[in-house]
Amino acid sequence: MLIIPAIDLKDGRCVRLQQGDMNRATVFGDDPVAMAKHWAAQGARRLHIVDLNGAVAGRPKNEKVIREMIQAVGQSTPIELGGGIRDLDTIESYLDAGVAYVIIGTAAVKNPGFLSDASYAFPGHIIAGLDAKDGKVAVEGWSKMTGHDVVDLAKKYEEFGVEALVYTDIGRDGMMTGVNIEATLKLAQAIKIPLIASGGLNSIKDVETVCQKLMPEGVIGAITGRALYEGKIDFKKAQAAADKASRKS
Amino acid sequence: MKIAVVDYGMGNIRSVSKALERVAPEAQVAVTTDPAVIRASDRVVVPGQGAMPDCMRQLAASGAREAVIEATRAKPFLGICIGMQMLFERGAEGDTPGLGLLAGGVPRFPAARMAGLKVPHMGWNEVRQVGPHALWSGIPSGERFYFVHSYYPAPADAALVAATCDYGVAFTCAIARDNIFAVQFHPEKSQAAGLRLLSNFVQWRP
Repeated sequence: MLIIPAIDLKDGRCVRLQQGDMNRATVFGDDPVAMAKHWAAQGARRLHIVDLNGAVAGRPKNEKVIREMIQAVGQSTPIELGGGIRDLDTIESYLDAGVAYVIIGTAAVKNPGFLSDASYAFPGHIIAGLDAKDGKVAVEGWSKMTGHDVVDLAKKYEEFGVEALVYTDIGRDGMMTGVNIEATLKLAQAIKIPLIASGGLNSIKDVETVCQKLMPEGVIGAITGRALYEGKIDFKKAQAAADKASRKS
Repeated sequence: MKIAVVDYGMGNIRSVSKALERVAPEAQVAVTTDPAVIRASDRVVVPGQGAMPDCMRQLAASGAREAVIEATRAKPFLGICIGMQMLFERGAEGDTPGLGLLAGGVPRFPAARMAGLKVPHMGWNEVRQVGPHALWSGIPSGERFYFVHSYYPAPADAALVAATCDYGVAFTCAIARDNIFAVQFHPEKSQAAGLRLLSNFVQWRP
């Protein structure tokens, strides 16, 4: 299983939000390119980059620095990128620039046809992002709850042919209260495509728990942000623990 | 050098062609179903994902089927995922006849042996090489590659097995015969080791 460092971009800087709230941002670095290089040098086998301003605006906002990050590490470290991706031209330009996977979140909930088109046009490169709380899907940087059941929507996305799902339990992300194992497990068991869990990792023990309980159900990665930046998790140790658990399974 | 990536509408073609372009910047990588282009190329890659019955149908519909069969007899050939499974006689998925170029079938992971493991098998797993091969050059046995599949090849001839992997059962995850090399995992999604394998394929002189 992959431990995937998250780099969230707000106004050109690396931040972490608490529970997706743009007003509760902690800055962890002023140089996203250096941050990407740092995680690549630590041995990260994938990076998760989010254009937070883009997610709010509905179109790319930190594109220049993202392109520099891709230039710096994209050749050796596959990048998954989300935030403000709402049309096929944007997807194509990012893929051509060297992004491995594009994440579609809000746009997929509001306009499922777009996700379907994107999966058809760029098979193997589209990841759908699902943010949820108590089994219901949220959109727009988590500011709005919808009535969609997360498992139902995930199954629909699976039919579209998306490569994988990123599931963020928004009660947990940035709060470091542990991964919502039950909710993630329920979703993983319901689908046949890879799932990436986001949010809540707080310790090496959490990494081991995720590997033990979720990896056998098709969870191929865990995105972690705040815990890495605050030093609660050492990246190398976390990935080593995940690799060790993979060998046992 | 010309490399044809056969695009019959069932695969992760862009990842494969991009990865090949990276490891062979001087090569012309053509994403194609044109039999003439496939025949004129020096190397042929057949990817594939999804379900074997769909892949077989699409391959026939694309008009590339005969040119693909010829390539398996004539030039360095790399099959990936369903692009590997199709080489066998019959797939358990939809009880589908394959191309029949290799003896054996493509069974599903046996439910009784999975001990709580999910099918499909998804994620990175260790690939144990059976012996040396040009395509393993620089790749240690036990290296992790990325898998997404519910069915796996079961060659009738054990001499075809180039690597095995464990997931509930020990299964064949790579096969080699003459100019054919084929893998159940996805080298184009397996980072450095995957790129090395593709690079080895590009340089391979069987």
